[in-house]
Parts: sequence; C-alpha cells; structure tokens
Amino acid sequence: MIKETMTSQQRVEAAIKLEPLDRIPVIPFIDAKFPCRYQGISQAESFRNFDSAREAMQKTFDELGGYDATFRPGQFAIESWIAATGMKTKFPGIHLPDEYILQPVEYEALVPEDYDTIIKKGFNKFYKEDYLPRVIDFPMSQLERGIERAHEQYIKDIKSWSEKGVLTFTGGFINSPMMLFGNMRSITALALDVYRTPDKVKAAFDAAVVDIIENGLHFARFTGLKGVEIVLERGSAFYWPLRIFEKFEFPYIKQIVEAFLKEDFIIILHFDTDWTLNLPYFKEFPKGKCVVQLDGTTNIFKAKEIFRNHFCIMGDVPAALSSLGTPDEMEEYCEKLIDDIGKGGGFILSTACVCPVDAKFENIKRMIQTAKNYLHSK
Amino acid sequence: MSEKLTEALANLEEAKVYEIVKKKLDGGEAPFTILEEANKGMQLIGNRFETGEYFLTDLIFSSAIFKNISTQLEPLLKEKVGREVKGKIVLGTPKGDIHDLGKNIFATLARTAGFEVYDLGVDVPPEKFVDKVKETHANILGMSALISPAFPSMQEVVEKVKQAGLRGSLKIIIGGGVTTPLAREKVGADFQTIYAHKGVMVCKEWMEVK
Repeated sequence: MIKETMTSQQRVEAAIKLEPLDRIPVIPFIDAKFPCRYQGISQAESFRNFDSAREAMQKTFDELGGYDATFRPGQFAIESWIAATGMKTKFPGIHLPDEYILQPVEYEALVPEDYDTIIKKGFNKFYKEDYLPRVIDFPMSQLERGIERAHEQYIKDIKSWSEKGVLTFTGGFINSPMMLFGNMRSITALALDVYRTPDKVKAAFDAAVVDIIENGLHFARFTGLKGVEIVLERGSAFYWPLRIFEKFEFPYIKQIVEAFLKEDFIIILHFDTDWTLNLPYFKEFPKGKCVVQLDGTTNIFKAKEIFRNHFCIMGDVPAALSSLGTPDEMEEYCEKLIDDIGKGGGFILSTACVCPVDAKFENIKRMIQTAKNYLHSK
Repeated sequence: MSEKLTEALANLEEAKVYEIVKKKLDGGEAPFTILEEANKGMQLIGNRFETGEYFLTDLIFSSAIFKNISTQLEPLLKEKVGREVKGKIVLGTPKGDIHDLGKNIFATLARTAGFEVYDLGVDVPPEKFVDKVKETHANILGMSALISPAFPSMQEVVEKVKQAGLRGSLKIIIGGGVTTPLAREKVGADFQTIYAHKGVMVCKEWMEVK
C-alpha cells in the first residue's frame, strides 16, 4: 500500500489542478445500478426507495474499501431523468422486468416543425408545454412534483455522503444542444435535418442554448457542489464531420464552459463515443479547469498526448472488462493506465462511463486496490 | 450525364441528384442503368469514408438519398433484376438490452451495401436468433448492444447456435459501444466493432471469401 499523505479531497483537487500526488485518485463512476444489484435490491426498487438505493451505494463503498469520491450521490428520480435527457425511457418495474436497468427509447419525439416553435416560443416554454408531455406516460403535474421531490432527495443524498466524510464529485449536469436535440429528435433524423435545413437547426440551437445554460447553472448552484458534468455523446466525430462539429457543437460547448467557469465551477467533460479527432479543439479552455472523462472508445493515450500538463484525464476501464474480465486482467489494465496516463499526475482512475450493473465485485475491488497499491513501474 | 449522377451523389448534393434522375427518366434512360450509376456513387462514398474524408452522418444522409432513388426506380424496372444480394444477415439487440440506434444504423448501411437483413428488433431471446438463422439460412448473425447485460445473452446465443449445429459456416459479428475485443473473445464471436460501417465492410469481405 502506498503511504498516503493527502486526504481524498486534496488528492482529487490536486489531480484536477495537475499538481503532485501521493497516489493516483480512484473514483469509479458508480451510480445506484451496480450497488443495488450487489446488495440484492432490485433495479425497480431503487426507483421506489431512494434512501435504500443510497444506502446500498454507501454499503458497497465500504465493502470495496472506500475510494476518493462518489461520482453521484444517489438514484435519479424517473421524472428528473426524463426532464434532463428529454428521452422517453423504459423503467424497471414499470415498462421492463424488475432486474432490467432503465433504457431510453430512440425515436423522433421532436418533429421538424418544432424548430420554428422553439425559435418563436423559446426553448423552456416549448420544452415544458409542448415537448415533455410527448415523452411521459403520466400527467405533467406528476412530473413537476417528482422533480421537486428529486431535488430535495439529491441534497439529502449529498449531505449523507458528506456526513460520512465522502466527497460527491459532480452535482450539476448539462447537455449541449447537439446532445439534447439528438436525444429528442434521434441522431439519424437530426443528421438529415442538419444536412437538409442547417440554418433552421442552427437557429433552434441558438434559441435553446440560452435556456440550457441558465437551467444548468440554476441546478448546479442549487447542489452546492463545484463539479459540473457536461454530457457529450452525440456530437463527436464518431458521428459527424468536423465541419459540422465546428458549427453545431463546439461553439455551444464553448458558451456553456465559459458560463460555468465564470462562476468557478470545475467542468467534467463527459465524453461518450469516440472524440479522438475532436479533442484538440478543447485545448483552448483554460488549464486545470476541466476534467476529460473518457468511456473507453476515445483513445485515452492520444488524449494524454493532447492534454498533458493541461487537463486531468479520467477513465477508462471498459464495461466489458468489469463484467467479463478477471481481477488479474483488471489489474493489468489499471497498471497500464497508471503508468501511461498517470505518470506525472493529472489522472483519475475510473470506469469507462457508468460501472455496469453486472460488474464483478472482485474486479471493481481490484481496480480500487490497484490505485491504492501501485505507484508506477518506471 | 452518367458521371454527373455518380458525382452528385458522391458529393451528397441531394437536390441535384433528384434533378438528374428526373432528367434521365424523362429522356428515356433505363432505370436499371440509373441505379447502376447511383451504386457507383455509393461506392465512392464508401471509399471516402475509408480514407477519413466522410463520417457516419455522411453515410446516413447518402443512404437516405439512395433509398429515395431506389424507391422511385424499382417499380419501373421491367424485370426484377434488382441488385445482387451480397448475403443474408440476421440481426438484433440481445435480451436484456432494448437500445437500437447502432443496430438500425448497421441495418441501413448493410441494406444499402446489398445485404438482405432480417432485423429481429430489441430484447431478442436467444432462441429467436437461432430459429431465424435456421429459417433463412443466413450467412451472418449480428448482435448489437449498448449495455453489459447483453453479454450473457450473446454468449447464450453463440452456445445455442453451436448446439443447433449451425456455427460451422455462420459468421458472428458483435457491435455497439459496450463491446470490446475482450467481449468478442468471451462471447465467441468472429468479429467486434463499435463502427457500423467497419462491420458492414467485414461482412462484405466474408461474403467475397465464400
């Protein structure tokens, strides 16, 4: 075991600021799914009883030997999930068997005529009055009450972790317009709109981003936490040519990042899908103010080359390794990350996106132990 | 004129493509020849993707244009010559997973490339994959997933395919954001990718070898 000379909070902050570390911090992206499965609580139950979901997370945290922060404080409420993602979603115990995890449905809930409505009416008004009723199968009044309750629960969960002496890594989260519209319209239909009516889509994005930022800031301030996650999946070069990224994705991410940095938040750029070709654009954001979180599809080694001495990298143990691999395979991969990405600091060892529901406990434990025991080979 | 259609499609100039097709039809050109020219355009698009000039949304857009042309021309074909069928693919998202974005993109690209695709949808039980392979004499079985609960289902499908004596000549491909080379190995598939177009390229290579 490496001799620890820093608290978890000091270690995480130092990693983000690219300062020297006693060891590599480890923050697996564990939400309620894996701990509830591991503790024998069904996925359906985790949406009915938020306290028991959080308690399962905390019990699993302890049984894993502890790690440097909890990525999220608890389970999402159904209502806040739908409002945040804009996606019709199937939930366990309601639309799916109890042991299934929640799964969004990809369909064209947003139609081409909506772009004009958004431009005329403003995004928030459109979203509440016209859009959300299409993706819920319960009354709007229930959605509003559910979101209120979820916010109270969120603060309760953060407080509970804090009383346990554990930092919650992210509070607020925000989608870029490309991400949110991709969710609402489906990525394939949005692609055809961008190619066929680019000016219309752009005008709708322009109208939406103002509200998206204000909503995001409002919630982030409410959580009282410094970490804010920008969810980025649907705007990468995995899907789009760079000329489209430059026009429809990056300028809006820039507006979002600038607005949050102005209030001294730390930005977690949560990259899902392959962003390797897009990464150089992000280097214009100020040093030590963002964390680049990768899901195993972006090349983490190239990311390190690009962001060395500029941004902290976080990732990227693949879900397949957590679910299907062995503890020794896990250790080997984590050691490689610590050697190649962690050398010189600026690295947080984590899972690639969310820890899978069926991860093997011994694999996640080995990941955490490797961060605590392995300095580096060179 | 022939080059113009191929070029307009390859350059993703949708309005121009439809205009050229209309002029050709008005001028009495055979629908089959027009489709052949459009096919050449699609091949150019594939090449441009391979060299990194084009991206996935370019393929999605070109497939939509090509589909519109085919829908217009196919009823006009005097004989059902159609396009050569490259092979048969049974496709689905395995039990435990209901995501279909990647699967649908793969299906679109595979159909555009000339495959017959039997799309079983999402949350597909293992037996259904096996029955469909048996029924269609498919060359390829494709499974797409975004979340890890699909892994045990994929393993079960491969096991059941073996038990049914169908594994011999059947190629199995897995894809989707959650899949990795390790998943391919543990599932027992022949190929894994997170890129739909790469998956279609490999399926084409498999059919050329046969």
